[in-house]
Amino acid sequence: MIAAIGRTFREGVEEVGRAGGFVAESAGASRDLRTWLPRVTMHARMLGVDSLPIALFIALFTGIVLALLASYSITGAVPLYFVGTLVEKTVTMELAPVLTGLALAGRVGANIAAELGTMRVTEQIDALETLSYDPYAYLVVPRVIAGTVMFPIVVGLAMVVGVTAGWVASVLLLDLSSPDFVKGLRLFFTAFDIRYGLVKSASFGAAVTLLGCMTGMRAEGGAEGVGQAATRAVVYSAITILVLDAFWATVWLLGKSR
Amino acid sequence: MKRTNDFVVGLTIVLGTLTIIGTTLWVKQTDLRNKHDRITARFRDVGSVRVGAAVVLRGVEAGRVQRIELGRDGWVEVTMALDQNVPLPTNPVVLLNESSLFGEWQATITDESAMPRDEAVSRQIADARKDAGELLPGATLPDIAQLTAVAGRIAGDVASVASRVEVAFDDQAARELRGSIKNFATLSAALAQTVRVQSGNLDKLSADMRLGMNRLAGSAETVQRVAERIDSSTATGEVRRIVSDVAIAAAQLKEASEEVRTMSKQLGRSQGRLESLLSSTGSVMDKINAGQGSVGLMVNDPRLYRNSDSLVTELRSLVQDFKANPKKYVNVRVF
Repeated sequence: MIAAIGRTFREGVEEVGRAGGFVAESAGASRDLRTWLPRVTMHARMLGVDSLPIALFIALFTGIVLALLASYSITGAVPLYFVGTLVEKTVTMELAPVLTGLALAGRVGANIAAELGTMRVTEQIDALETLSYDPYAYLVVPRVIAGTVMFPIVVGLAMVVGVTAGWVASVLLLDLSSPDFVKGLRLFFTAFDIRYGLVKSASFGAAVTLLGCMTGMRAEGGAEGVGQAATRAVVYSAITILVLDAFWATVWLLGKSR
Repeated sequence: MKRTNDFVVGLTIVLGTLTIIGTTLWVKQTDLRNKHDRITARFRDVGSVRVGAAVVLRGVEAGRVQRIELGRDGWVEVTMALDQNVPLPTNPVVLLNESSLFGEWQATITDESAMPRDEAVSRQIADARKDAGELLPGATLPDIAQLTAVAGRIAGDVASVASRVEVAFDDQAARELRGSIKNFATLSAALAQTVRVQSGNLDKLSADMRLGMNRLAGSAETVQRVAERIDSSTATGEVRRIVSDVAIAAAQLKEASEEVRTMSKQLGRSQGRLESLLSSTGSVMDKINAGQGSVGLMVNDPRLYRNSDSLVTELRSLVQDFKANPKKYVNVRVF
């Protein structure tokens, strides 16, 4: 049992070490602009633009449900225009980044892990190395750059759609006028709300793509290994998104409230 | 394909960025066209007012708080963007106050005369007005936490008083209170009766007063007529003559009073003599009554009376005899 504990600890440290080494290799490969820059837009379209429908769909229904939930929770002396405040704060600061991040973790993370895992098990990555291509510069860096840039764009649009959906739902389904919703929306709005959500989503994008690339490039053992890599990518991405969410809240919100 | 990707991604980034920035500016109500009037007020403390808070004029939202910055000498300067052509009050001051129970604050522009009658607020305004230049004076009203603290203190005091009353108000006190109330009821009834009576008296008095007023009015008319006569008399010189006659009469009266004074002095002296005379007479009468002296003896001794009476009788017969026979008593001889 003690040996098992020691082995688990050693494997954990090795995993952290490998992840650190992967990140360091990727950072080093980012200097090879000629290799990764032409491929960024392609990955940006696949990871970002093509993810817009699912992200906006999630935001649309999140906004509607949130408005109804807020009106259900707000009773008694609390004025109903706080629905606008609640929708704005929760969508921009939490739900749009996290829900979009989780959705893209499943879509993008699994996609990257499966793609790179297949390349690994079919020795295409070895072939790239043979052709003097840096696989990090060719495969990892453009995906990470694209994810880091496009996640905030997708999340930003999801914010707008989510708040708009909450607004429309409040006007149509609740006894709340449009000016009242806007009053609540503007009541405690600050640019920081947007900044916080976008920075957080950029970190989610970097984390999801890095984890997808890392698990994919370490895939082994054929189709089964590819499947396991895709699964690990989604699980690790989801966990990392939640950990980063707590990290930003602790570092940024806690510091700001003081 | 590559060009298509570049275009689609570029378009998405541009549109997404513009959408986010535009939405943020719209929600923040940023004044891009600079079509607002700006005023700045200074405060010692701005409470929980934030950039974007509403600026209210006569209960209507007329702008937003645009900037809050620390000024010199411990002031905080708040710049507000007002809708164009909004007329300010004659003597404007800015009050920062909570607009709801949920932490919302607003800046209220009002005339100084319409400020709440609060000593602390007036002091803040007076302080902010000194050497303010073009800055408006501002004051911060207490927030709900401060008001709650005061209310809590008052509630504590009330509870303390209530507990003291509870201690003091026992059965005995209740009985006494009941008796007092009964007495008070009796007193009230008596008072009501008195009021009824006095009301009648007052009615009568008021009627009398009305009558008196009427008479006074009549008197006033009479006085007015007299005054008119006096006016006319003054005009014809009668008054001067009357005054002259009065002066003469006064002089004569003075002389008469001098004579009266002399007479009264003489009367005083006569009175002294008379008193002396009466005293002497009293003394004589006392002696007579006491039977002293000849008169006393005559008055008090009946024998003397009888002797005198007998003497008179004898004298009367003697006179008769003398008249009848004068020669018996008078013997005139010539030579």
